[in-house]
Amino acid sequence: MVLAGLVTAAVTVQAVAAASDHPPSALCMACHGNPTFAAKLGDGEKLSLYVDGKQFAHSVHGGKLACTDCHSDITAVPHATKRFPNRHAVELAYYELCKQCHFPEYSRLLDGVHYAEISKGNQSAPTCVDCHGSHAVAPPARPRALISRTCAKCHTAIAAAYIQSVHGKALLEQDNHDVPVCTDCHHPHDNSNPLAASWHLGIPQLCARCHTNKEMMAKYGISTLVLTTYLSDFHGMTASLQRSEKRDRRELTATCTDCHGVHDIARIDGASSPVIKANLLTTCRRCHPGAGANFPSAWIGHYEPSPKHAPLVYAVKIFYMIFIPFVIGGLVLQILLHLWRVVVNR
Amino acid sequence: MNEYVIRFSVRQRLEHVCVMLLFIVLGVTGLAQKFFAARWAQWTIAALGGIDRVRWCHREAGILFAAVAIAHLAVGMMLVISGRARPSIVPTRKDFRDAVIMMRYYLRLSDEQARFDRYDYRQKFEYWGLVLGSGLMIVTGFMLYLPVLATRFLPGEIIPAAQMAHSNEGLLAFLVVITWHVYNAHFSPDVFPFDVTIFTGKISAERMEKEHQLEYARMEGDAQQEHQTPPEIEQDRASAHG
Repeated sequence: MVLAGLVTAAVTVQAVAAASDHPPSALCMACHGNPTFAAKLGDGEKLSLYVDGKQFAHSVHGGKLACTDCHSDITAVPHATKRFPNRHAVELAYYELCKQCHFPEYSRLLDGVHYAEISKGNQSAPTCVDCHGSHAVAPPARPRALISRTCAKCHTAIAAAYIQSVHGKALLEQDNHDVPVCTDCHHPHDNSNPLAASWHLGIPQLCARCHTNKEMMAKYGISTLVLTTYLSDFHGMTASLQRSEKRDRRELTATCTDCHGVHDIARIDGASSPVIKANLLTTCRRCHPGAGANFPSAWIGHYEPSPKHAPLVYAVKIFYMIFIPFVIGGLVLQILLHLWRVVVNR
Repeated sequence: MNEYVIRFSVRQRLEHVCVMLLFIVLGVTGLAQKFFAARWAQWTIAALGGIDRVRWCHREAGILFAAVAIAHLAVGMMLVISGRARPSIVPTRKDFRDAVIMMRYYLRLSDEQARFDRYDYRQKFEYWGLVLGSGLMIVTGFMLYLPVLATRFLPGEIIPAAQMAHSNEGLLAFLVVITWHVYNAHFSPDVFPFDVTIFTGKISAERMEKEHQLEYARMEGDAQQEHQTPPEIEQDRASAHG
């Protein structure tokens, strides 16, 4: 009797294994192919257990994986019933299955803010399937705008700002592939905390990845001097030095996004641009509350001083380029003459 | 040989020490900010406890420096106006003549050397360079310290211009000190290895006679005047004012 049972089990396993070549397995689909097949979760929510066979076949895994390649704990049909308190618990029980193949992504995830939330027990923190889907896994960036739509499922307010921004509009209206989608700035798996000081102080280098690309910026007539002119000025110097201190701090110097906006970043010549002359004082006052009407022009823009831009600064610069060598040269000459005469006198 | 005269008062010596210490603090914290991209500058800033503390030190030292400068000028002018001191540091036409004489001497065009009063033309040049440079550094420094206040009265572009001037003038001051001042106070064969007069206030009668002939003659004259006035010293005195 016991022996017979074992034999039956072995035969069943074999049957499941054989089905691997033709996923999704007909055996599994006998139940999971029924659109009304569902289970009740601990919190009362109904969890559909239906798998759309066609959808799976068209997914990136279609023809490559069998049901049991991921659901490897299922060795016999019918299998034991599992109980979960809620949908999040279901995901937590299954998301580690992905690492069998996608280990690099999984290990990066462990460094990200989403994983930090998962490990804190945050019920709304996303696991693999929240972004990539489960049975209908599609290439994440086809089309490119899909990435932003994926993040928008949770980050609704940011997504709403982004689609109005110069980057978002170009992406959605012109399918522009130069503009950044969410994951160009925020790593998809090991996304670091964008509220941390280290993130804020690294923004200039982040924006510079595209904004110092001469070829790309030439298309839009945007200066590539934005980084160097920023870094050589007071704010940029402060950001560089604060960044190298590697400690958390409350008061941070202004970086790109403090003036230009973050997800709502606008064209610099648009009426709503925070850096257009009419709005600049308001922008400066966010950090410099007492600033008067003259204050914004203390920032000469992302320009090198020249006779055209900031002529006074340029004049001072040229003056010292001549004056310093003149004075020091004269003094050194006098020292040398003095020494020479002392030697000659001997 | 051990004869000496008192050249600098306690106040003057104290002022020099204050300026020297503040100059070092301002120079280190200022140049580290000017050349912040260089490794030595980043090391210095980190060693001093970060950019916030470096800036705090620079500003506090700058405020003290401004106070020393104002006190110095106020006391100096007061002493001159009240007649208790001679305006011996003010450049005269004689300084330009002395400079030409000394240039000719250095170039071996003549063997005649200028005879100096209390301060020679090089000392006056350095002093007024320091005073004017300090004035510029103090004014631009306060503009950079309080840009919101400064732009209430001045156009905005004055701030980056002040920054450019402050940064370059500071570099110039540093270069003048490490070449000219260090040479004259340490490496010049006349004083090598160390001219301690500004710290002790004392200068040997021998050096006085050699380097500040006119003043020395006047001092000798004043000492003897109590008995009688030698006519040749009176002559020197007249030429010193000429």
